Amino acid sequence: MDRKQCCVKLSVQPSRGLMDEKFLVLVQSVLPGFQLTVYASYRCDDGHSWEAFAHYTANASGTVNVSEDHSLGGTYCGVEPMGLMWSLRPVPGSKPGLRMRKMNVLTPMEVTISVYRGHLTEGFVDQVPLAAVVVERWYMAPGVRRVPVTEGGLTATLFLPSGPGPFPGLLDLWGGGGKLVEYRAALLASHGIASLALDYLTPQITKENDVSVLFYNEWTNVQHPQVIDSRIGILGLSFGTSIALKMAVYSQVFKLRCVVCISGSHVQPIKGSVEQIMTSFHNNVDKTRFNEEQQVIWRDLLLPIPTDPSLKVEVGRLRCPLLMVVGEDDQNWPAHESAVDVKEMMQRAGNDHLLTVLSYPSAGHLIEPPFTPFARASSYKILGPPLQMVMVLWGGETVAHSRAQEDAWRKTLVFLRENLYRATSSSHL
Amino acid sequence: MFRVNLRQSMVRQLQTIMIACMRVHRNLAYLHRAVGGVRWNSSFKPAPLLTAAPVRALIDEHISIKGCFLPPQSPITMCAQMQSDEGDHWEAFAHYNTNADGTVNLTRDHSVGGSYVGCEPMGLFWGLQPAPGSREGLRLRKKNVETPYVMLLSLLEGHVSPSERKITELAAVTTERWYMAPGVRRTEIRQDGVVGTLFLPPGPGPFPAVLDLWGMGGGLVEYRSALFASKGYASFSLAYLGHKDLPAPHNRVNVGDPYFKSAYHLLQDHRQVVADRIGIVGLSFGVYLSLRIATRAGVKPSCLVCINGPVGSTIKLTDADGRTENFENEQTHWQFDDQGCVSFKAMSLPANLSPESKVKLEDLPCPLMYIVGEDDLSASSMENANLIEQTLRAAGKCQLLTLLSYPGAGHLIEPPYTPNSRVSLWSFKPRKLYTLWGGHPAPHAAAQQDAWEKILDFMDSHLRR
Repeated sequence: MDRKQCCVKLSVQPSRGLMDEKFLVLVQSVLPGFQLTVYASYRCDDGHSWEAFAHYTANASGTVNVSEDHSLGGTYCGVEPMGLMWSLRPVPGSKPGLRMRKMNVLTPMEVTISVYRGHLTEGFVDQVPLAAVVVERWYMAPGVRRVPVTEGGLTATLFLPSGPGPFPGLLDLWGGGGKLVEYRAALLASHGIASLALDYLTPQITKENDVSVLFYNEWTNVQHPQVIDSRIGILGLSFGTSIALKMAVYSQVFKLRCVVCISGSHVQPIKGSVEQIMTSFHNNVDKTRFNEEQQVIWRDLLLPIPTDPSLKVEVGRLRCPLLMVVGEDDQNWPAHESAVDVKEMMQRAGNDHLLTVLSYPSAGHLIEPPFTPFARASSYKILGPPLQMVMVLWGGETVAHSRAQEDAWRKTLVFLRENLYRATSSSHL
Repeated sequence: MFRVNLRQSMVRQLQTIMIACMRVHRNLAYLHRAVGGVRWNSSFKPAPLLTAAPVRALIDEHISIKGCFLPPQSPITMCAQMQSDEGDHWEAFAHYNTNADGTVNLTRDHSVGGSYVGCEPMGLFWGLQPAPGSREGLRLRKKNVETPYVMLLSLLEGHVSPSERKITELAAVTTERWYMAPGVRRTEIRQDGVVGTLFLPPGPGPFPAVLDLWGMGGGLVEYRSALFASKGYASFSLAYLGHKDLPAPHNRVNVGDPYFKSAYHLLQDHRQVVADRIGIVGLSFGVYLSLRIATRAGVKPSCLVCINGPVGSTIKLTDADGRTENFENEQTHWQFDDQGCVSFKAMSLPANLSPESKVKLEDLPCPLMYIVGEDDLSASSMENANLIEQTLRAAGKCQLLTLLSYPGAGHLIEPPYTPNSRVSLWSFKPRKLYTLWGGHPAPHAAAQQDAWEKILDFMDSHLRR
């Protein structure tokens, strides 16, 4: 038995964390100056393997502290406490265009973090590590309740925080890709906000022209006496921004407490239904561009920002705080140009004190909760006809985008808590 | 009743949201307004927010508990509730006053009453007590280490005790506390007559190892081992009395030196264990066994950690291999207090130990950490510690000894942030007998915290370098 090997002590704290929680990776009891590689590996729910690694040299006390020491190379460099998570990438030989999204929030991501002798860049599978630990990363805190809502053909999931409540609530809207994506809502509920993840698009949208057919159902799901109706916000990403802004400004009955718009735009025919909005975008499809790798750039479909007010949500009429999160390298939506225009419109209307813009250089379109792998481009299904898979360019550069996600998420949580939890003197009715 | 109103108006609000964003597809449902007459109260404030981080922690990890969006400078009660594996309810509570910005932070603030006082970030965990109306003489011990303790932490209005009938719960958060880290593997061992449970850390190994021994309470106690494995040690909990898979009768030690030697070798021969990096940790009677193994069994451990135990057997031996008579046979040194609770302390006074069983301390082959709870009512720890020190000094081996002594701590010095029982049920046949362990809550908790850290450091020094 190699005596030296047993000395190496690897610990990650906490060993069970929430997805947006930082962990501390410590390697101890190696020789001073020892060269090692810290390696993270993850096999996602659809079976793809991901990896990240970084090269370190132990200090005089034989320790490597990932939160304080410099990575000398690997999938990230420099001092990056969470680099092992956000620099995860598909292992060599993987299918191109992968994007990591945890669809089952009831189970954690199980990441194996190990230490190898020397500065390795490949062949990890063939070597025996000096030590390894398993870390769980959860989207759901214990006690958070996941309540599927399926009445009347609705596809939504409500996440309720633990505790007696009542809780402020949030509508969580994703983009034009469809599918019910739960992880952000689960995480928000883990932070005390009852969140409803809602799939507002279904594949049949392309077949359906008549969008005014309504039908009513009794909503019999009365499990949720714990959401406070006067404290509801809305968070939208990408196309979800379009919905969010439309509701925030035009809803007759409902006064939202606050709005968060990530990587989206206020450009839309204001009298149109959601489908008509999408159609208006599609009318500009000839503005699609391609980069050298034949990746699809859709940001020009909404450019130039129109001057015609009937083509933009009248943000000057907004009565609640608005947080806009923008990646300046967004290649999918003109989020930056839209934010600039929104600011001008609100300044003219005199309500710009409600606006906060977080703008991140070199960040792309997919600004999501932090510490998950970055994808500059990924496969995207166009519903057609014809049905096709394209490689969409989201934009962004790994380090800057990952930093943006961390900063934006923290500030989004503060914004939501301040607007949804703090007691105010005036009512929003 | 108020909640019913909220529910109906909440339905209405969510319906409206749906209407606005779902004018897309005929399959998208509209949520119908609930039956009319909805009264809606607009001045309702949301609940304050209670957070705990991490929400899933190992037993020895700190959890940072904070409350915010509370009224400033107001009395609140923090409360912890959980159920043991046996279904008993345990709870703790503490009274705080929020500060000027309406927050409370258990890492910073002082409790002014309840299960503990002062600044005690983990007080809600070590201060746990059986809930009112519980069975007598309970002791909190996790049987199933593969599941966590699920603890509900709540924030109550005012300075109250949780058992009061009219309490207002303002916020709550659920936390999990684990003895096992992810990736730790648990294997039941029934091999060569040896009865135990092996815990292996994740990773390829090989690992330094520890043999984990408890006291005359018997059975197979796994939680400390599970925690050692979570720190990177292969850890083997060994049963030696009072287990159905060991030779009967169950109220005496029917296994001798060969048994312990087999157990040690089992660990040593494991392909994922470093053969010359094995330590032994013993509590109570387990101390005597650790010392005996180290000096007689022909094995050489790298270090010993001995907590509150004797240097010889408290029960007469029946053979040269260390088997004993029945525990109940010798009650001469049992002492009873006015409630009829028994203290076994005098049994382990060096003069009262079975002479032929007393270990030859001068043969100690490795470093020894001996831990004393100065309020130990179950063992004469201080006297045994003194004897060890004197003997080792005379043998020129006192550099092997590290002595830790904790005022106010009792017999059961266990992993930190777990409650101490000053007395608990020892046996119920022929009649219910309660035994005294000693220890006062706050100093015992401090001792557990400090000792654990020092134990891990000691093991690190002798098993990893």
